[in-house]
Amino acid sequence: MNLGAMVWLALEGLLRKKGRNTLTMSGVFIGVFALTLIVSLGQGLSRAVTETVSGTDNLRQVGLTGGFGIELSNDPAEIEISGEMNDARRDRLRRAAVNRRQIRQVAGRRANAIDDKTIAQLSKLPHIESIQPVIVERYEMKLNGHQSPATLSYGVDVGRKRYADRVIAGSYFSGDNAPEAIVHEYLLYKWGMLNDGDYARVIGQKVRLKTIQTELTPEQQAPPMLQDMLRDLTEEERKAMQTLLPKLLKQFGQSNERRAAEREFTVVGVLREQIPGDPFNVIEDGNAVQADLFLPQETARELFLASAVNVELGYPRALVTVTDSEFAPEVEQTLRDKGYTAFSVASALKQIESVLLMITVSISFLTGIALIVSTLGIVNTMITSVIERTREIGIFKAVGATNAQVMTVFLCESALIGLIGGLLGLGLAALAMLPGDMLAVQLINEKAAIPFDQPVFVLPLWLMIAGPALGTGTAIAAAILPARRAARIDPVKALRHD
Amino acid sequence: MSLVAAKDVWREYARGGIAALAGVSLDVAPGEFVALLGRSGSGKSTLLNLLGGLDRPSRGSILVDGRDLATMNARELSLYRRGVCGFIFQSFNLVPTLPAWENVALPLVFRGEARTARKTKALAMLDKVGLASRVNNRPTQLSGGEQQRVAIARALIGQPRMLLCDEPTGNLDSATSSQIMQLLRDAHSAGAALVMVTHDPELATQYAQRTVRMADGKLQEAA
Repeated sequence: MNLGAMVWLALEGLLRKKGRNTLTMSGVFIGVFALTLIVSLGQGLSRAVTETVSGTDNLRQVGLTGGFGIELSNDPAEIEISGEMNDARRDRLRRAAVNRRQIRQVAGRRANAIDDKTIAQLSKLPHIESIQPVIVERYEMKLNGHQSPATLSYGVDVGRKRYADRVIAGSYFSGDNAPEAIVHEYLLYKWGMLNDGDYARVIGQKVRLKTIQTELTPEQQAPPMLQDMLRDLTEEERKAMQTLLPKLLKQFGQSNERRAAEREFTVVGVLREQIPGDPFNVIEDGNAVQADLFLPQETARELFLASAVNVELGYPRALVTVTDSEFAPEVEQTLRDKGYTAFSVASALKQIESVLLMITVSISFLTGIALIVSTLGIVNTMITSVIERTREIGIFKAVGATNAQVMTVFLCESALIGLIGGLLGLGLAALAMLPGDMLAVQLINEKAAIPFDQPVFVLPLWLMIAGPALGTGTAIAAAILPARRAARIDPVKALRHD
Repeated sequence: MSLVAAKDVWREYARGGIAALAGVSLDVAPGEFVALLGRSGSGKSTLLNLLGGLDRPSRGSILVDGRDLATMNARELSLYRRGVCGFIFQSFNLVPTLPAWENVALPLVFRGEARTARKTKALAMLDKVGLASRVNNRPTQLSGGEQQRVAIARALIGQPRMLLCDEPTGNLDSATSSQIMQLLRDAHSAGAALVMVTHDPELATQYAQRTVRMADGKLQEAA
């Protein structure tokens, strides 16, 4: 069978009723257009999220948070609500207690402290490459006659060259133990260094950092969450806390007498703010995003541990690096089982990707309705065409066309409607992606804290093929019954048809 | 040895209803020119359709090369029409949207021939029927006689062994009719058998080697 000749006959048939066939085609066009846009958006968002976080070591890192070691029950049955009251009120109060305990649980879950000893122990767990404490601390800061009561500092892993590319004046740290500091450009701006040339004047100057001294009572010294808990404990829970509470209060109470650590560093550089295109590390940069002062990791650690309370309580957080990203969710779970709060980008990414996939699939189904409607349009058009061309079908058969050939002519006709509609839909969707991308990137950068410059619409090769193929396939399926009807027409009757 | 042999062929349109053909037997020899003569409703067109494989008999057999058309499936009948027959109708039956040459080339489309080969053959055939200057005209731009010449060219392009003509001059004036009959005679001279349905006894006696009269679905006599 010469398919080219069949396609030619089909095309000739299509051109005969341009208006009707264009309308029929528009159904396929709209369906493929919408479907292509939705799927490419899903693809793009998924890829954008992955690419945004898959740089640096994002997928190999697990964030680890320690705690105060308080465990409280969340089982409503275990909560005693005393007093004469109706059951509804008792239930409400029990629920309220549970809800408040859940808040405590957040703190309570941080059952284990993170200190050098536990880091050494945890480092022996399988698939763990390294565990590094995250040093984020506020200090009283003095620089060049300026003073800040509570500047947030962050310890930088010098060996990994983190932030080296963002140094816009001076130089990067010379080593992990160096008595050096890098200041953020925003702090300098706040301090009145408005002109570009001002940065150079800061380089080489001394910055003094001092542990923040407070005059608060031990109870006030406790973090708000702990204060709340202390007020809220039932008699029974107080008993459970008897061993822990004095230790905790003592730790906080020490702050009044604690040794005021004070150090002097040389400012070696100025760090610029993160911009779109910079490598972004969710866990590390999440900790550092508000920092105005950067110290080499070991220098920061030494200063942090110079405060006795810090030695007692340990590091607030640690950064776990696993040997391969595939182990991140497993390590995350192991750490959770050990009572830590753990978070990995890899498992978050999996969740985001599955949510995106679910959204894409469900919206695609909705969009598929457009294609179903277009299918009905094609069926209608093809039936009309078969009826109108009955005599012609008789001629085809008289000159030797087989039933299969007659069917092929009509299937080709419908396939052409689907193919042309599908290609137009794909083409317009591809065009719409250009302004769509610009708009989306602009919106995301306005609303999101993470610098973002990824395309949100991605048109992979498979989608370029699948879009028109789906249009064509739908159209062919829609034409099967009308085409069979055409093939089965009795040639004698057809030749008499008006 | 006959080209087509119909034996006791019946064609009934409803169970126990009217028999358009009632026990007709007819042999057509290779290269023979047979005229089927009769009034409207006598069954001559029905017999022509059966001989051409456009229809199947209710009873009886139609043998071609030892095979019975009555037992062939739809595909086999299509291949029979394609390989053996060429049809010429009273109402021309051209595809109105196709130019003359593409109408002529239509049988070659279903034979799977390439476009250039189709066009070359169609142009040669149109030249033969005297329409070399009208190859790109659509049927509506042609006179009745010209349309019938296109139809003859279409019937001849597949080099059929048998031409089946159903009142080929029924819609034409006498001068044009003569031209058409001359073309058919040429085709016959070139070797094709020809079965022509007509109600015009003069036409039958003038051109056919044998005239078969039909009435009420039966053969009357052979002349």
